[in-house]
Amino acid sequence: MLNAVIPLLLDSLASAALIFFAAVGLTLVFSVLRVLNVAHGSLYSIGGYVAASICLFIASRQLNPYWSFLALLFSAVCVAAIFGPLIERGLIRWTYGKSEAVQILITFGLFLILEDLQRVIFGVQSFYEDAPMRLLGTTSIGGVVYLNYQILLIGMAFLIVIGLRLLINHTRLGRLITAVVTDREMAQSIGIDTNRIFILAFSLGVFLAALGGALATPTSGIAPGLGADTMVLAFAVAAIGGLGQIEGAALASLIVGLARVLAIYLAPSLDAVAPYAAMLVVLLIRPYGLFGSVAARRI
Amino acid sequence: MTSRGISIVVARCLSSLEWLFRLDRGVPQGKVRWVVDGLAGALALGVVAATPAAAQEKPSALGLGIFTFTSGPAAAYGMPGKNAADLMIGEINAKGGIGGVPVSATYVDEAQGAQGVIAEYRRLAGDAKNQVMVAALSSANCLALAPLAEQLEVPTVGWNCDTHQLLMDGKSKYVFRPNGNTVPEFIAYAIYLLDRKPDVKTVAIINPDYAFGHDAAKIFTAALKALKPDVEIVAELYPKLGSPNYQTEISRLTTARPDVVFSNLWGADLENFVRQAAPRGIFTSSQVILALGETVLQRVPLPDGVIVGVLGDGWWMSPDARAKPETVKFAEAYKARFGEYPVFPSIKMANALIYVKAAYDAAMRKNGGKWPTRVELADAMNGSKVETLTGIAQTRTDNDGLVDQIVGVTVRTSAQQFPVIGDMVRYKGDSLMPQAGQDPLAWIATLKPEFAKGLPKPGSYK
Repeated sequence: MLNAVIPLLLDSLASAALIFFAAVGLTLVFSVLRVLNVAHGSLYSIGGYVAASICLFIASRQLNPYWSFLALLFSAVCVAAIFGPLIERGLIRWTYGKSEAVQILITFGLFLILEDLQRVIFGVQSFYEDAPMRLLGTTSIGGVVYLNYQILLIGMAFLIVIGLRLLINHTRLGRLITAVVTDREMAQSIGIDTNRIFILAFSLGVFLAALGGALATPTSGIAPGLGADTMVLAFAVAAIGGLGQIEGAALASLIVGLARVLAIYLAPSLDAVAPYAAMLVVLLIRPYGLFGSVAARRI
Repeated sequence: MTSRGISIVVARCLSSLEWLFRLDRGVPQGKVRWVVDGLAGALALGVVAATPAAAQEKPSALGLGIFTFTSGPAAAYGMPGKNAADLMIGEINAKGGIGGVPVSATYVDEAQGAQGVIAEYRRLAGDAKNQVMVAALSSANCLALAPLAEQLEVPTVGWNCDTHQLLMDGKSKYVFRPNGNTVPEFIAYAIYLLDRKPDVKTVAIINPDYAFGHDAAKIFTAALKALKPDVEIVAELYPKLGSPNYQTEISRLTTARPDVVFSNLWGADLENFVRQAAPRGIFTSSQVILALGETVLQRVPLPDGVIVGVLGDGWWMSPDARAKPETVKFAEAYKARFGEYPVFPSIKMANALIYVKAAYDAAMRKNGGKWPTRVELADAMNGSKVETLTGIAQTRTDNDGLVDQIVGVTVRTSAQQFPVIGDMVRYKGDSLMPQAGQDPLAWIATLKPEFAKGLPKPGSYK
């Protein structure tokens, strides 16, 4: 019995970790900026491409392969530093206060541009670099061999949930973000530089997206089209958890991960629809998501 | 210029005149259209009738519409096909083209989906320069394009179309497959497996979630059940095509503890699966069959003993291929230009172009050296027997192909830095195919264990 449950549990956690990395940045950006960033999936795949490129460079120069781990983090920082301020100042800020349709159209346009940009820069073939995965080896649990890298990803997901909660609740930046989220106009009136908060929050969202892509690269290839798939799954997770809710995204990732794993184990033909079936059930019961709440509309 | 080409040009000229002089001004639209179309038709018919010889004149260039995946995860399989087409067309043109006419290709990316592929096919077919389509890679696209080929009467050579459903009705006039199909391709694996591992009891399957994956699973399972009825299928997984992550599927396969894992994943999906499955011990705990495994031999470190094949005879290092100087030359030229040796999709594409050239040569021999029409070309393909880079491609009267099937296992040699195929067998193409018009699954169900006894054994092809 235990031998049957352990693989289910571990696979669910491992799957949930990858899904969480894809969704948490999207939900953070929405919570602060109130913008649904359709280009989020592209930033995820750009993170993956940059990480794979740096890791391949390390391998080609026969440098210490353990630098690859640092490269995963470094690539996410680079992507966030370049794309975060650029996109927020260049595009997103023009959408504040506009209707959701305008925001979605503009970020969808950005998504198309970024997808083509990836094709131009990285080509159309798949990218692989699995050095970090190979370096960590494997562990046999419940008769099933797991990659230690998968276990590392689970730990990283927990660290990010805790880290974000600490950032929001126990730092000055977090309190400023909370103030802006709670009442943007009031925050401005007491002297908070909301523009700076928006840039920082958006860049943090880009960092989380790029980190997700970078961390996923060693266990899965990066190819054109990944951005779109990621975006759809991230939306499902954000909707289940409640848009803008970080703990909600974590719990939703777990639900989606469990749904997918159960489908693969028990009814493989339902694998593709399982995350969306879970979303449907949750939204039927709680239309604003697990952690979401009804917001009063200002007139 | 062909008669069809002349008609199109005349009609377009008249349409331009109509627009230029605003013939429709003040006249009801329907009448103007009727008059102009009538004039166009009459004039075109007149021109065609008056110039019968012109219909057979050689064009300045022969256009081929070539359909393959040049982007997305499937490009890992599609690009070697495109590379081979570039190389082979260059070789054909260097020798004077086809019947003295240089060949040029327009590539269509199948990653745009069936709707886009159909639109591109229509656009290319509308240009008289494009007399032949080499389409397609994806079985789904082949099935979508086949009715269009019949409707537009364009000879269409399925360079990779594997699905046995493509020519099952036996009524096709313009669609040809100079390859095997899913039936011989996957029966071959069942026979090879049972010869190599006769005590197999449990099998797990992981195939892509579309027609090719499901058809292959159905055929492989049916063949196993017919040849060894006590075999049990303990898991059947169909991950989405283009899925980047197989970790949960790998756990599921491990917990099923099968004797054999069978897969016809391909392209980047196959590379992803192998890279993720190898460190997790799948290749040591089970006998793995990767039906399209040859495509990743040079890119992924596959362990020894994995059963792989080439869905046909397109193994550039097979004894037959090595005996042909032109194949060796092609492989070396491919390596020099693209940095890797050709994989079997490359060979399939090259063979398809050889097939097209052979059809033109045959049609011109038959009609006294004149440039053939599309109908004459299709006639030349039907029932043909063409020597390819790796064997013989025979076309039956139902336009389906017969090619041999090569299967083996991965082995290391000192000659190459990557694993190659060893312990090979080469099954005759017709030995694994039902008769034209026969239901393939019903035919497989009639097979008995004795069927395999009369076939060559692993290691017999040296």
